[in-house]
Amino acid sequence: MSTPNWMDQLQQILKCPVYHRKLTVSEWREHAARASAGSGKAFGAPQPGQLAERDGKPLFALRTDGQYVDVMEISRSNLTETDKALIGWTIGQLKSGLAGFTGPASDTESIAMQIGQWIIDQLESEHPESTLPDNLTIRGRLFTEMIPFLLVSEHPVAETAGSAYTELEKLLRQFLAEDILLIPLKGQEWLIWGPTSLLTDTESEERAAGEEDSLEESLASICSGLYEMLASEWIGDCHLAVAYPASPATSMVETTRLLRETVYLGRKFHVGNTIHLPWLIHLERLLDSIPESQRIRYVEQVLKRSDVFVEPEILATLETFFELDCNVSETAKKLYIHRNTLLYRLDKLKQETGLDVRQFRDAVLVKIILLLYKVTKRA
Amino acid sequence: MAGVRLEHVYKKYPGSDNASVKDFHLDIKDKEFLVLVGPSGCGKSTTLRMIAGLEEISEGKLYIGDRLVNDVAPKDRDIAMVFQSYALYPHMNVYQNMAFGLKLRKFKKAEIDKRVREAAKILDIEHLLDRKPKALSGGQRQRVALGRAIVREPQVFLMDEPLSNLDAKLRGQMRAEISKLAKRLETTVIYVTHDQIEAMTMGDRIVVMKDGVIQQAASPEELYNHPVNLFVAGFIGAPAMNFITGGLVDQGGALHFKTTGIDVVVPEGKAKTLREKGYVGKEVILGVRPEDLHEEPVFIEASPNTVVNAHVEVAENLGHEMYLYLNGIGNDTVIARVDGRAGMRDGTNVKLAIDMNKAHVFDKETELNVFEV
Repeated sequence: MSTPNWMDQLQQILKCPVYHRKLTVSEWREHAARASAGSGKAFGAPQPGQLAERDGKPLFALRTDGQYVDVMEISRSNLTETDKALIGWTIGQLKSGLAGFTGPASDTESIAMQIGQWIIDQLESEHPESTLPDNLTIRGRLFTEMIPFLLVSEHPVAETAGSAYTELEKLLRQFLAEDILLIPLKGQEWLIWGPTSLLTDTESEERAAGEEDSLEESLASICSGLYEMLASEWIGDCHLAVAYPASPATSMVETTRLLRETVYLGRKFHVGNTIHLPWLIHLERLLDSIPESQRIRYVEQVLKRSDVFVEPEILATLETFFELDCNVSETAKKLYIHRNTLLYRLDKLKQETGLDVRQFRDAVLVKIILLLYKVTKRA
Repeated sequence: MAGVRLEHVYKKYPGSDNASVKDFHLDIKDKEFLVLVGPSGCGKSTTLRMIAGLEEISEGKLYIGDRLVNDVAPKDRDIAMVFQSYALYPHMNVYQNMAFGLKLRKFKKAEIDKRVREAAKILDIEHLLDRKPKALSGGQRQRVALGRAIVREPQVFLMDEPLSNLDAKLRGQMRAEISKLAKRLETTVIYVTHDQIEAMTMGDRIVVMKDGVIQQAASPEELYNHPVNLFVAGFIGAPAMNFITGGLVDQGGALHFKTTGIDVVVPEGKAKTLREKGYVGKEVILGVRPEDLHEEPVFIEASPNTVVNAHVEVAENLGHEMYLYLNGIGNDTVIARVDGRAGMRDGTNVKLAIDMNKAHVFDKETELNVFEV
């Protein structure tokens, strides 16, 4: 990050070097406590202009994102109290200068922010446009088909070197390809467009003919790889959704809408899942459209008949049973239980509810009850 | 390498009344192989995810080495993770998969190459370096995931059921390999599993969890021989420990454990403790491991005060040993593990002697092991 102009000017006035530093909030508090030793001041969130001290040199807080503090260090230990108070007061007033620490770092980021704002405007508009305005298509680059991902991070992104945008974009370029587009949306939400060449890159030369994965399988596997990388190398816990390849210029709004809905439904119906795939949540989408009051009434009616659906063991058994396409042997294997134990549990369910999940009709009903139970039990 | 210290750690999810992890307090030593074990939903994976930085800590402190890492991002914690749902990077070959983390950390090419090839050699995947993940078998993919963690040379390895996607044979093989690897790399490993065989065979120390609370943290031998409560006693060991509810009665100067079909004398040492703690005349739960029920005539002759008669409902012969499912001792089925050549048959009656010196007694209310608290 370059030094803002006003810091250069301050350097000339004070006739000593002035540096921009980044500290963690706890480091800042330590230095601030030292500067005010004996004053009995309590330290909450760092305020612009607030004074601290490190190795005898004064530090002034510029801004904070809650985790890190941008700090100005003055390399002179003999500043008078009046000098310090004056500098602190000036920084407190210098709102426009401090904005230099948060603005877009590059042209790409600036265009990406404009696209992001345009998408949000369209999503909130009553008559949304679907095609990106010409000035935002990046010289026609966005007419080529690309793979869209939506990343939602759980925690605020800490800015270390440079902006979070620059850092994430660099990481994605290294991981996916040079040809990616990163668009910041609201809060901790990012739309990522990756090249369709990823689909062919995942194919292996050694595989026999006829063994190719479906498009959905390939997209899911790229999404899992990207999630693994982002979780361990960048942000920690996050949610990631992927959709079918599309042309960004013409489907930016629709794709964002679909991916947002996918993450929303995935988080609502499948707590604990972090990768969400739109083609796997058709039933959830349908159930979500049922009014809340009707859902609650239906679940209460069903659950009143029995407590069996509330038992964690039965819940886990049914989840696995449906995940494995109602295959008894595979389910028993996955749950590390004997086949007869599984059959006993299914019989117990049948005895208490009258529903035999080995029969298609009852299996569908139980699947629906389970999904509804998940979203209505917290109501 | 470094140890890990969790000080009174809690995890509470928004909207939930109960904490998923409660007052988790543990010091994990440098180079220790620690296993977290427990039934699903016990909080073991949540604990591991908090150490990894994938879940925020609601309360308490977490140290890796001497560094407080509560607010440190996962990538800056100097840990490496291998999870159950490990995903390799599908568009990169094995070499690139293993090298990516190092490339990001700006390691020199020569160093990356050295580390990747060394790890590949350890894991016996040198011949697969040019292959894409899709061309690999489950076991090979698992090795690549391990390789990706190894090349980082982290302070701590975190593994969450890394073998659960493998078939039984491969799981057994990889279990031994991971143990060997941990010793060779001399690194701290925190390993989550629900499989007690993995826990018993791999861990230097095992932490048994239930409902977000540590039940017992001890060596495998200690856990097996000295479980502190009914849950640990029942969770560790397969077939599980037999529990028989009955009363303790003073009779002719000896303390007897009595219920339907069983009247055995409690050895003097154990009887003394039970008397001192006021259990005489009370209902307790007797815990007997299947291997502590003996059918050998020598043992029966030497222990006339602990003999029981039972009916063999089912005799499962595994060749080297035989499991007898018995009726007539208390109200539930009791399992005995006897020699495979004992020649027991279904539907016969059998005489067995309980090794009461190895038996446990649990308080019926608190479920605590009377001899261990």
